[in-house]
Amino acid sequence: MHRIVSTHSLSKRYGNVYAVNEVNLTVYEGDVYGFLGPNGAGKSTTLKMLLGLVQPTGGKAIILGKEFYKNRRVILGQTGALIESPSYYGHLTGIENMRVMQRLRNVADKNIGEALKIVRLEDQKDKKVAQYSLGMKQRLGIAMALLAFPKLLILDEPTNGLDPSGIGEIRELIKALPHKYGITVLLSSHLLSEIEQIATSVGIINDGKLLFQGSMEQLQSKSQPHIFIKTQDNKVAERLLIGRGFSPVINGKYLTFQGLQDVEVAQTNRMLVNAGIDVIRLEKRKKNLESIFLELTGRERSLS
Amino acid sequence: MSVISLEFFKLRHKRLFLMVTLLISVEIAWAFISVGMSISRNPGMVGWKDIIMTLASMNSLFLPIIAAVVVSRICDMEHKGNTWKLLLSACVKRSHIYAAKYICACLLLFYAGILQVLASVLFGAANAFEQPLPFSLLMRFLGGTMVTNIVVISLQQWVSLAVKNQSFALCLGMIGAFIGMTADLFPSVVRSLFVWSYYTGLCPVTYSYTGHSTVFAIRTIETSVTAVIVFIGALVYVVGSIRVSRQEI
Repeated sequence: MHRIVSTHSLSKRYGNVYAVNEVNLTVYEGDVYGFLGPNGAGKSTTLKMLLGLVQPTGGKAIILGKEFYKNRRVILGQTGALIESPSYYGHLTGIENMRVMQRLRNVADKNIGEALKIVRLEDQKDKKVAQYSLGMKQRLGIAMALLAFPKLLILDEPTNGLDPSGIGEIRELIKALPHKYGITVLLSSHLLSEIEQIATSVGIINDGKLLFQGSMEQLQSKSQPHIFIKTQDNKVAERLLIGRGFSPVINGKYLTFQGLQDVEVAQTNRMLVNAGIDVIRLEKRKKNLESIFLELTGRERSLS
Repeated sequence: MSVISLEFFKLRHKRLFLMVTLLISVEIAWAFISVGMSISRNPGMVGWKDIIMTLASMNSLFLPIIAAVVVSRICDMEHKGNTWKLLLSACVKRSHIYAAKYICACLLLFYAGILQVLASVLFGAANAFEQPLPFSLLMRFLGGTMVTNIVVISLQQWVSLAVKNQSFALCLGMIGAFIGMTADLFPSVVRSLFVWSYYTGLCPVTYSYTGHSTVFAIRTIETSVTAVIVFIGALVYVVGSIRVSRQEI
């Protein structure tokens, strides 16, 4: 598949602290790429670097097949963005804000109507934006980002501050963008549930480092069930089972096995008992995405 | 050019032209009441020079404040709406936005200057001044005011864009107005250090006190003085533009 965004050791250092540390991000055409991480993980800084709002201290970014810092104008002409809180001129009406973007992007009049229709703001377009609710401002921000119907849409926490119905609306809108308009979406969030419902690919960042990158299926495969066995003597049990062709791993007070079938579980249990090793516990545990995420990002940190 | 027209588009509903018109009208009215009183006390003795000098003195008080308010209104909308990232991600250079805002503010203050000149012409005609209309003198007055304005605006714009809280910029405007108003009381060396003093410093009319009366006289402003002021304005503009362009978003 065609790469829309690829970064190579992209880094940003403030003093001695790395906000983003050698991040290699890959977003393919038609993806809804969920960029996930706790607050302060480096998501916004990475996205800002992809838009030239922050100068990287190392690495490079290739966007739409071109090196960003050498082809900034061309790339930004085909990229729409909504970074952090929505940007708007509060004293202007919704349509006037769109006209500001139209002048900047040099696009046709019909795009304004279409973008406003997509975010369902046609009826509110003549109202001053200062009087909009946060959700409406967010939707206007998305409409402004969509105005030129770019090839790449970068959205930083697009559902921040929205109520549940607003979140649902934005989610459906984002999901529809790739197949309806051919737009590749790169969106960040600190909410796993949100990314889980929208994204086709995921990148998990924490403390500036990219900890995981792959398809949603790959991330979900990490949640395959594990068998946990607690015996009287785990070390002897481990040696015995390795000798019989199993691959147990000592994990605290347990021996853990990945991808073990029911028949194999029974077989393992029988072998241990026959060898005179008492089996104290035998459990099947399945990690949910949240625990995978917490495991990757460090349990001590809060998600929100 | 398109960035400048965009700046004017963004100023919709802000009623900046109306605000400038009202503030400058107050100044003009104040100046003309003062000159009108002189006419009634010394009929036949008051002329164009009196109007120009009175307006220049009043400019020292009013224009720093008008410049501070105009520039602040032009710049504050970017801070309030968090729009820098919107503009930059649409591939607009910050130096271009800086220039567009600067030109926009200069044009608004030029409009204020034109209003003063037109009002002076009307006032002279209404009072049937004996001297012919001193077109060149009025243009030199307008030129001197604008040269001072461009420096004051460059200073105000730097502060307004660098510091989000516009109270700082407005305070600077008020301090400038105070210095401008009292500058003629300072020794000339000290006065020359303050940009706001040049509203009267670059005025083609000067005055001196002889006994109990004030005598107005036409003078020539040295080109080198004007060049130095323009250079300072350009320097403040360039440094401000570079500093603001380098600020992280």
